[in-house]
Amino acid sequence: MQNLFNVMELDKGVRICNYKTDRFKTGRVSFNIAVPLGKNASAYAILPYILSRSCGKYSDFSELNSRLAELYGAVVVGSVTKSGESQIIRVSINMVDDRFALDDESIFEKCSELLCDLIFEPNVENGVFNSQDVDREKRFLLEKIESEKNDKRVYALRRCEEIMCEKEAYGLNCYGTTKGVEALTPQSIYEAWKSLLETGVMQINVVGSAGANEKVISEIVKKRLSKFNREHLTSLDTNVIEKANEVKKIEDRLPIKQGKLVMGYRAGITNQSENFGALRVMVDLFGGAPYSKLFMNVREKMSLCYYCSSRLFRQKGIIMVQSGIEEENKEKAIKEINNQLKAMQDGDFNDEDLKSSIAGLTDTLMKVCDTPEGIDAWGYTQITEEKFKSPENLVEEIKSVNCDQVKECAKKVTLDTIYMLSKEEEEK
Amino acid sequence: MSNIKEIKNDLLNDSYYKIEHESGLTIFVYPKKDYTSTYAIFGTNYGSIDTAFKTSDSDKFISIPEGTAHFLEHKLFESEELDAFTRYAKTGASANAYTSFDKTCYLFSCSNNFKESLEILLDFVQHPYFTAQTVQKEQGIIGQEIKMYEDVAEWQVLFNLLKALYHKHPVRIDIAGTVESIAEITDKTLYDCYNTFYNLNNMALAVAGNTNVEEVLEIADRLLEKSDNVKVKRPDIDEPKEIVKDYTEEKLSVAMPLFNLGFKETNKEPVRSLKEQICTNILLELIAGETSKLYKELLSKGLINTSFGSEYFYGYGFATTIFGGETKDPKEVAKYIKKEIQKLKENGIDNKDFERVRKMLYGRTIMGYNDVDGLANELVTSCFEGYDKFDDVEVYKSITLKDVEDRLNQQFNENYSALSVILPA
Repeated sequence: MQNLFNVMELDKGVRICNYKTDRFKTGRVSFNIAVPLGKNASAYAILPYILSRSCGKYSDFSELNSRLAELYGAVVVGSVTKSGESQIIRVSINMVDDRFALDDESIFEKCSELLCDLIFEPNVENGVFNSQDVDREKRFLLEKIESEKNDKRVYALRRCEEIMCEKEAYGLNCYGTTKGVEALTPQSIYEAWKSLLETGVMQINVVGSAGANEKVISEIVKKRLSKFNREHLTSLDTNVIEKANEVKKIEDRLPIKQGKLVMGYRAGITNQSENFGALRVMVDLFGGAPYSKLFMNVREKMSLCYYCSSRLFRQKGIIMVQSGIEEENKEKAIKEINNQLKAMQDGDFNDEDLKSSIAGLTDTLMKVCDTPEGIDAWGYTQITEEKFKSPENLVEEIKSVNCDQVKECAKKVTLDTIYMLSKEEEEK
Repeated sequence: MSNIKEIKNDLLNDSYYKIEHESGLTIFVYPKKDYTSTYAIFGTNYGSIDTAFKTSDSDKFISIPEGTAHFLEHKLFESEELDAFTRYAKTGASANAYTSFDKTCYLFSCSNNFKESLEILLDFVQHPYFTAQTVQKEQGIIGQEIKMYEDVAEWQVLFNLLKALYHKHPVRIDIAGTVESIAEITDKTLYDCYNTFYNLNNMALAVAGNTNVEEVLEIADRLLEKSDNVKVKRPDIDEPKEIVKDYTEEKLSVAMPLFNLGFKETNKEPVRSLKEQICTNILLELIAGETSKLYKELLSKGLINTSFGSEYFYGYGFATTIFGGETKDPKEVAKYIKKEIQKLKENGIDNKDFERVRKMLYGRTIMGYNDVDGLANELVTSCFEGYDKFDDVEVYKSITLKDVEDRLNQQFNENYSALSVILPA
């Protein structure tokens, strides 16, 4: 397996990550900009949505969509996520490769220009965003925040994060807050846009056969960025807390049929890259796969649930365990999940288990580059890392892990928060 | 001997191979140059709608409890010795399975040890092992799966719609059944269904990615056990063209109302052709896609948000066009959609709009050919529905405005539509 990622610094805080290949029928370009997750979160959160639905040239989404339809159904997507305590604003375009054009046009070039128009030449008049656009996107974002409640798994996970990290920036929602979004104005959003392009850390990912044009992309981006003063870049730090104090226990009630249990742990690391391979294997053996402790015991042996799994949020150094259970089984499930963590800490697993986990994780990593979306996601999640790693680099780290290291990792894990979303009491 | 046919498409510059294997199984191999991973799927033409069946060597239909196909899917992973997940753990593949309305599929994807994983797949799907005790254990797990879906508003709004549209067709029942219906399932039920539907003549295997015909055939020749040439017959369901009721609502814990508006179709033939499917996709874009007038109008009135969308929902013996999303006023949105369809029927479709949408969907179809997961899944579907996978690109190239207008007039009948709403509790 060959590393095809070509990463270069275009300028201070601007990285281009180019992946050249002929094996896809499509090309893809994404702009990713990271800023600290903080009090301005709502304004930054609305930007990718505003930027991906119009620009100076195509001033409403119908015009833009007609243009995209002409470009063989190219797809523009705006989104926002968080990685550790950074908020990442993303706008991407996905298009068919030039060889499928029905005439001789270069779809890639036109799509790249269009993407830059969206980000750098938005629908702005007299130094403010269009107020109709702003009103519409505010409504969308408010409804999106409200609708997080619809998916009870996501909602319970969000609530546990919020409670566990209430004094840390990580407790904030990447979409901002209802109050924050309501207060946004065409002016304040314009200020946020300027600050995003002046201070944000950028990574531009390019995937496809047209990747040969990385020079073209570099030139386009350089030219557009020259209009912005990028002297004072932001720094992206995440506060990683090594150990939990006492266990917080919180229960919410909603009119639902199945309870959702979320247990939040501190992973016992002090920075994002510490002990990475062993920690990945530990979380996988604990609850990441069908051969894991949680699946084999809480689901298969005890029939308590349909799902019970653990997940590592490496950039923040936390581990979340999630399960959907009957409320009356809550204590039983908590006890068993604790028992299984204890088993990991006691080293109750063997070389065979370790081999399974290494094989599973390695296999997954090696599949990353078989879709343009996978390549793009691999690239952007490293925006906050100084040193870019390829999937091959991580495969090496994981292959070198041994049982003792996994056991040592497990010993450092401490329980921080137990969150339960339960049924509302029946009305009398 | 097995019969091997290469199917080529010049535009895509891709080929796949269709093999009529001597065991009775249809096998597809779609090699993808320079890919690291491989995806394999082994499916049977048997899903949740098959609540009654008859084989070609018997003359009576047999009824089975709702949710049996899905239950069987869960249980097939077990064997007398090592269960399939434990075996896959050695190869590193990610394995899974799913049951839909008319299919049950077992799959894995991997970047290493493909041959070993394919051996596991062919082996465990051909060797069931059910006991009273293991069946009982699964009732708790699936019971929780059913409960989980009861809280998923998107799922409930769809099934409420199907119950409002269909009187008899089993598409109206939940794929996993109910806690009560799965309690009736025994190891014998599972063996009866297995022996009927998991006949290789009723199944397909598709492999796409970093692979070739030789390595797949070597394993298939060794592991596939010839099935008796028995065909399964689905009963003809006497589903009236009329609907049950035109409105249904339920309260759940959601932030804002959710709706599904469905138009029930009546067809003589139980299977929809690829051309009908593609005409419908074009129509849905024209009526309510992001470039449509209706979309713009509903947005500017604050009646929809980005969750708004539409789909063609079809399978053996059922077909419905569904519009759905979140809205503060479901009845108002439904009114707008119906009005727009009426307008299109009266005024016809603008040729420029048609060409724009056709070009867009043609591009999106090509985009779909990147993805080995999607390709393997579609090969299995194309086998059960009886078309060639590459036909999709060709149909988009040849389809005309008249085809789409004819479909519009035949497909949407306001009298056979229903609105399903979930309100915040």
